[in-house]
Amino acid sequence: MSGDHHSTDESGPAARVKALEAILTEKGLIDSAAIDAIVDMYETRVGPRNGARVVAKAWTDPAYRKRLLADATKAVAELGLAGPEGGHLVAVENTDRVHNLVVCTLCSCYPWPVLGLPPVWYKSFAYRSRAVSDPRGVLADFGLELPREVEVRVWDSSAEIRYLVIPQRPKGTERMSEDTLAEIVTRDSMVGVAKVEAPRR
Amino acid sequence: MSSTNTALNGLIEAARLDAEHVFSAPWEARAFAMALNLSEAGHFTWDEFRERLIAEVRASDRIRARDGTSDHGEYYDHFLRALEKLLEEKGLAPNH
Repeated sequence: MSGDHHSTDESGPAARVKALEAILTEKGLIDSAAIDAIVDMYETRVGPRNGARVVAKAWTDPAYRKRLLADATKAVAELGLAGPEGGHLVAVENTDRVHNLVVCTLCSCYPWPVLGLPPVWYKSFAYRSRAVSDPRGVLADFGLELPREVEVRVWDSSAEIRYLVIPQRPKGTERMSEDTLAEIVTRDSMVGVAKVEAPRR
Repeated sequence: MSSTNTALNGLIEAARLDAEHVFSAPWEARAFAMALNLSEAGHFTWDEFRERLIAEVRASDRIRARDGTSDHGEYYDHFLRALEKLLEEKGLAPNH
């Protein structure tokens, strides 16, 4: 018998989830409308656009940047961002000398209210197992080569602390508005695996 | 090392192609939402769930580090297994 890993109709994950949902619904523990609402929320509304607003504000408002670095949980709440997995948020800032990279080596801890749910690579064995031991190698995989004099700091997320990277504001964006800046801030830059690029003219 | 690099490169490629897609199949979204819904309703804490998730991920990492296989499944397979085990422990949805 070697049926353990076979995804037959009955043992495949889709069927198990369906069965679970049926049992839990029958017991009155969940209702499908609430499940639909959560799916919709995390597929369309909670995502990295939220974090991009935070970064753009920090770039354009020095007082906000200070508050963000001092207490990120409070500072993002000013923009109405809070919720599950946003408990203790720490903002770390990239500079000419320091580049920050975020990982969760144990599973998938990630600051949901500002970045939404983590992408597949963030949860992968390859990323989790190498970000701490070989951060420059990982960054190179993402196409980011940093000068040797730049210190790379790796932050391992946990149930207690989540991190948001404030990427460097690219040169040539001095005249852009906060809203326009928010459009160029990417998810990857807020995890620390990419830089923000100035839009090409 | 090169096989790990290739693995990560493949994922990066996938991430670029489908930038903000958080679930790769509808069942992943349902499993995630059920877990969150149940925890918000107080049937278990998210920390309790995370402990089970970490254990599943660790078991899978061990197999992968030893054999280089992903027989233990991907992230949401671990997620679902953790949820099933926790529900069974709590007597909320016994396996049968």
